[in-house]
Amino acid sequence: MKEYILDEPLTPEFIVFLNKFGTVRSFQHLRRPYFSFEKERFISVKGFVGENTVEVRYRKEFVDLTPDFFHLLLYYSNKGPSGMATLKGIENEIGRKMDARQGITESRQ
Amino acid sequence: MPVFAESHKKGNSSLVYLNNAATSWPKPREVISEVERCLDQPFAEAGRSAFCSAIDYPAATRELLAEFFHTKNPDHWVFTGNATESLNILIHGFAHREPARFHVVTTDLEHNSVLRPLYSLEQEKRLSYTIVHSGPDGHVDPEDILRAVRPDTRLVVMNHGSNVLGTVQDIQKVGQYLADKDIFFVVDGSQTAGLVPVDLSRISLDAYVFTGHKALFGMPGTGGFYISDAGRVAITRQGGTGSDSRNLTHPVKMPERFEAGTPNYTGIASLYAGIRFIKRTGLDVISAHNNKVTKYFTRELAGHRNIILYSASPDLPVIPFNIRGIPPDDVGYILSRAYGIITRTGLHCAPLIHERIDGGTGCIRLSPGYFTTLDECRESVLAIYEVADSADS
Repeated sequence: MKEYILDEPLTPEFIVFLNKFGTVRSFQHLRRPYFSFEKERFISVKGFVGENTVEVRYRKEFVDLTPDFFHLLLYYSNKGPSGMATLKGIENEIGRKMDARQGITESRQ
Repeated sequence: MPVFAESHKKGNSSLVYLNNAATSWPKPREVISEVERCLDQPFAEAGRSAFCSAIDYPAATRELLAEFFHTKNPDHWVFTGNATESLNILIHGFAHREPARFHVVTTDLEHNSVLRPLYSLEQEKRLSYTIVHSGPDGHVDPEDILRAVRPDTRLVVMNHGSNVLGTVQDIQKVGQYLADKDIFFVVDGSQTAGLVPVDLSRISLDAYVFTGHKALFGMPGTGGFYISDAGRVAITRQGGTGSDSRNLTHPVKMPERFEAGTPNYTGIASLYAGIRFIKRTGLDVISAHNNKVTKYFTRELAGHRNIILYSASPDLPVIPFNIRGIPPDDVGYILSRAYGIITRTGLHCAPLIHERIDGGTGCIRLSPGYFTTLDECRESVLAIYEVADSADS
């Protein structure tokens, strides 16, 4: 588990972007709007929209493949459709490596 | 209401600590002072050092334990690293002495420190076991324990207090039922030692396990057990004891029989001071405070439409609940980060009872302690209500 202090606060747009890559749970009516993000085998994230700290948890067996994944999500979230496509490619590549490690022959999408 | 000395304000005044069933915090000032005193001088290691200090902590703490729990022989109190280690020593050590496969009775309230050793030994075909289910109120009917006993039952292991539901079991009655049988009766007192009176002179049991870092106010890394007939449990750890060193056979006398290696002196010093704090304060005073704050939580939380309370009237300051529609881990994070309220979420290492109460998803557990104030309880309830309100908005 790592706690990151970000340069900028997390935005609602970033949460929408996260939805394309995993499961987002969002509770916007709380005093501090909370969200969590879960991408199976990759990472899970907990934080508050509008704040610049975030907790990221990694799966121990794949931590060497995903150390930058959260930062990639942040980086590509404001790069438009091309950013989305690039990150999907990276995601698939990491997924293939995970499959290979787990002995899964068919790649997961 | 407990009063903090000026020098004993909680380190972080904005923090509300409701995780005392895991580890009590804050520790009484005298516990911290005793640890400091212990570390401030060379260790007076009985049999291992020429140095004599004012207090031989292991011996003095054994005497305190014997007095606190009403047993005759202080040397039958054994120090270990925690309750889990104690239970492993007792369960594996007992199994080691049994010549044939045998049967064990336990309950669905047990911690993995009981379930995993039993499962492991079952996998090795050393034993089989029956799980007795607690009732809807979280209490185990002692007659159900008796009904589960078979001709080949040699061991009963059960907890005194549930770390999930906060219910206290009638171990005295179970002990009475088992007294005339050749069954080794082990009670896990991790959640009750220091919270409810335990008079071992009136309970027919063979071994009582405690942990030091919960309601006895000691440091993590302290625990142990009391055993009446030590010969019924095989020695599974050998090593230095500071006595009879020429002999390669590990000593069988107590407490060395179960203690090998250098003791946790500072931890035992903290336990020594923790028990003295309880004696000085009064277990009845501590218990009355805990009952008051527990009742406040259960009464308030029961009134919210989105809160599922799993133990309506716990005997211990343990309040398990969930908020409809929000996973417990998320609630725990929100309470911690947005409100500074420390809880414990998940399965609490007791998977069987969670399977029954919440389908195995886990829950949030509030466990206030003697130093939890009513203001903190009110603050926590308001925060939990705010989160619960958001569940359907």
